Amino acid sequence: MHFWQQSLPLLITCVFGLALVLQYYVPHPASENFLQEISLWSQIIAGFAIVLGVGSLLSAHYQKIARQEAGWGYSAVLFVSLLTVFGAGLWAEGKAEGTFFGWLYDYVLVALQGTMFSLLAFFVASAAYRAFRARTLEATILLSAAVLVMAGRVPLGESLLPGIGALADWIMTVPNTAAQRGILIGVSLGAIATSIKIIFGIERAYLGRGDGA
Amino acid sequence: MREFAVRLLQLDRRFIFVLMSVVTVLPLLYPLGLPVRISPETRQLYDTLERLPERSVVLLSLDFDPASKPELYPMTVSLLRHAFARNLRVVALTLWPAGTSMAESAVTHGAEEAGKRDGTDYVFLGYGPGEANAIINIGQSLTNAFPTDYAGRKTEALPVLEGVRSLRDIDYALSLSAGFPGLDTWYVYGKEKYGFELGGGCTAVSAPKFYPLLQTGQITGLLGGLRGAAEYETLLNQAGKATAGMDAQSATHFLIIGLIIVCNVCYLLSGRKE
Amino acid sequence: MAPLPSVSGFPDPSAGSRHRSGRLGWLLLLGLVFALVVGTKALASDSRLTGEAFDMPGDGGGSIGLRWQGNFEEMAEAHYQIVLSDREQGVFQPVVTLPANTHYEKNRVAPWWMSGTPHPQAHFLQVSTVAESPLLNGRRYFVKILALIGDERFESRVFSAVPQPNWFQWAKLNNFLFMLAFSASVLLSIRSARTKPTLFLRRIPGIDAVEEAIGRAAETGRPIVYLTGSGELTGRGDASNMSTIAATVLLGEVAKRSAVSGTAIKVPHRSPIVMAIAQDMVKDAYRTAGRPDGHADESNFFIAADQFAYTAAVDGIMLRERPAANFFIGYYYAESLLLAETGAATGAMQIAGTDAEHQLPFFIATCDYTLIGEELYAASAYLSRDPALVGTLRGQDLGKGFLLVGLVAGTGLLTLGDMTGVTIWETAVQIFHDFR
Repeated sequence: MHFWQQSLPLLITCVFGLALVLQYYVPHPASENFLQEISLWSQIIAGFAIVLGVGSLLSAHYQKIARQEAGWGYSAVLFVSLLTVFGAGLWAEGKAEGTFFGWLYDYVLVALQGTMFSLLAFFVASAAYRAFRARTLEATILLSAAVLVMAGRVPLGESLLPGIGALADWIMTVPNTAAQRGILIGVSLGAIATSIKIIFGIERAYLGRGDGA
Repeated sequence: MREFAVRLLQLDRRFIFVLMSVVTVLPLLYPLGLPVRISPETRQLYDTLERLPERSVVLLSLDFDPASKPELYPMTVSLLRHAFARNLRVVALTLWPAGTSMAESAVTHGAEEAGKRDGTDYVFLGYGPGEANAIINIGQSLTNAFPTDYAGRKTEALPVLEGVRSLRDIDYALSLSAGFPGLDTWYVYGKEKYGFELGGGCTAVSAPKFYPLLQTGQITGLLGGLRGAAEYETLLNQAGKATAGMDAQSATHFLIIGLIIVCNVCYLLSGRKE
Repeated sequence: MAPLPSVSGFPDPSAGSRHRSGRLGWLLLLGLVFALVVGTKALASDSRLTGEAFDMPGDGGGSIGLRWQGNFEEMAEAHYQIVLSDREQGVFQPVVTLPANTHYEKNRVAPWWMSGTPHPQAHFLQVSTVAESPLLNGRRYFVKILALIGDERFESRVFSAVPQPNWFQWAKLNNFLFMLAFSASVLLSIRSARTKPTLFLRRIPGIDAVEEAIGRAAETGRPIVYLTGSGELTGRGDASNMSTIAATVLLGEVAKRSAVSGTAIKVPHRSPIVMAIAQDMVKDAYRTAGRPDGHADESNFFIAADQFAYTAAVDGIMLRERPAANFFIGYYYAESLLLAETGAATGAMQIAGTDAEHQLPFFIATCDYTLIGEELYAASAYLSRDPALVGTLRGQDLGKGFLLVGLVAGTGLLTLGDMTGVTIWETAVQIFHDFR
């Protein structure tokens, strides 16, 4: 069991990890073909994840219905919705124009997703009201920058306060970019270091055993 | 006074939600039509499309789903109008499965409006599965990644794709992205490897992360959120949904600024109590 | 292969118009005599056109490089035309026509370890297609350079090269060496941390707050909600992979502590693969904490891969179950504020940790503690004190130190060079350049 659950996955990880690192430096067509082959395999393997996900989802909600747990009706709604959309998609052969599948897309999915995304505006307002307080110097700088950028990025602000647009642009392109770069460098080094540990089998959390190192 | 300030600080957030709704709806009903200033990043994208010779190939990757439609759909419409007006060849696709239908509709309507022929002046390739892997596959061979277009025609035989074997043959790629996969994915797995001009658009919330790429020239041009779309409509002199939405955005921004000022005044009056 | 079409308006090469270097002197003399006698403009001569063709080093094949020098740059309207054929005696096809004062090799974006110091007057061109057809690997191509000045034409001798694919992209040599050095520093740091397990770690308030959050949950008897973000572990190529791994590692530590305190933990997922791994992590944490019976299989569950369907469901859980603490660890997109603001509205203690830099402002505004960027990677090291994780941090710091020194020194040197007009520093900072 140890071989199948630990040794072989670690060997595969090491070999393919190193090969893909080296691939970046090898311009030969063989290397390009290897990359294309790996990307195809990656697509195929990732496709199976949906089976795992749908299996988990259906099993959890089936148990809720079977046990008649609180809110089991919503689980039933999930089954009906899933089967309806799946059936409509199959019937329409994936085409949306003039089909029931397209109707579901335009009048259910678009509306639901748009609603959720638009909630951001409301939540930004309530979060700003609650959180943007000049408690410390840093918090004062944060809220001042937020106010300047918000005013400078809309026509009303630029009409009322000429020059604020250029100031907002400066905040975005200088302090914002500098901070983003700082974080990006740290994150990239962290990502490379984690990759090295995974390739050499030092980090094994992804194997699901929790015995890193 | 202090009591009042403390009570105001604990304002029910539903009150803020109602204010937000009113402030959003009113400018849509009674627009002010304030002028939109063109930012350098929008101008850069516009100029890049302007400089392309006729029949150059523009790849338009519509990497968003209906959630981001209000911000990214107006950009799609404007970019298609510009590309078709300049007589450029448009190769459109999406890396987001939930965006396929919307992307197809945008491209088809844009082409019909400009009187362009499907397969000759433009093509919609459909959904490219595999996220970053899809970009690598197109980079290696477009016809292998998409043997047929969305309508089921063989891509090898399409006149619009004449001379276009892979991403290396694209003159300008544009990704309108709402997240992953999106503009940064096209940079890392596309431009970095296959060397083409890349620009794009994104939701306002993710715009700050693209400024480092913009400043170094790793991407050429960026449309940030509804504002970017409105700027592009202004450049094309074709006011659309984005321009119409700018007054509402102005009002909501100023509402939030007002809320920040009110909460800080109350905070000071309350003796800095939470 | 069929003969390539002739170049329009160009003398037929088979008629002997191509010159050999041995005849150069004679031709020059003849030209001068002809000019003097006839009193018209000078005849073409190739003596001023020297150059070479070669396989482009460090590429995937399918292209050749041309390097040449002429003395036509000062002449108004002067152009160079590159013509190419797959046979020495064949018909030459025009590739490109360039103004004579462009395409200098010194302006080419290439590292000095590949191109050396180019002659100031040398021109350079990489040719990969002719008549829209790619050059084929292994086939010899013949090239001539023509100088066109008004009606006059001067042509070089024939150069040839064979495009070949290469096994190393030399332009990325600096990148390769940095990769090796950084990998070595990380591995050596891990080794060093194993022998000296007392490396100093800066306190991170957000991590200290983990104990407090779990303690609060234990006191109130309410659960903890732990989100691993919207990242994947399928190698799909986004930046979320590393933060998702960090999130699952940290989940193990949080689960150990919640197992000890008897606090329920709920982990809703967007990714089935992350869910499968997190299930094992949590189960293992309960086992390690000596409470295997306290583990509930349903603590990890999949909701939906769709961003907002997932967000709505998690918001619903927060509003119904009123968790004592929420952890938002991993990679997030626009859902960050929708989740954290809802959590804040329920009064839960909130700890976020993400390397999605564009979502940081939302977490900072709505959470009690936020782990910024690489603090997320440090979190698991800080909590577990695992030498491998602690050593990795030391390795990262070495890499960061090197880059910081490079940034400061490079900026200083280039500024100095700009002020004094010295260009040598530009060559020095090329080792940090991203060449392709």
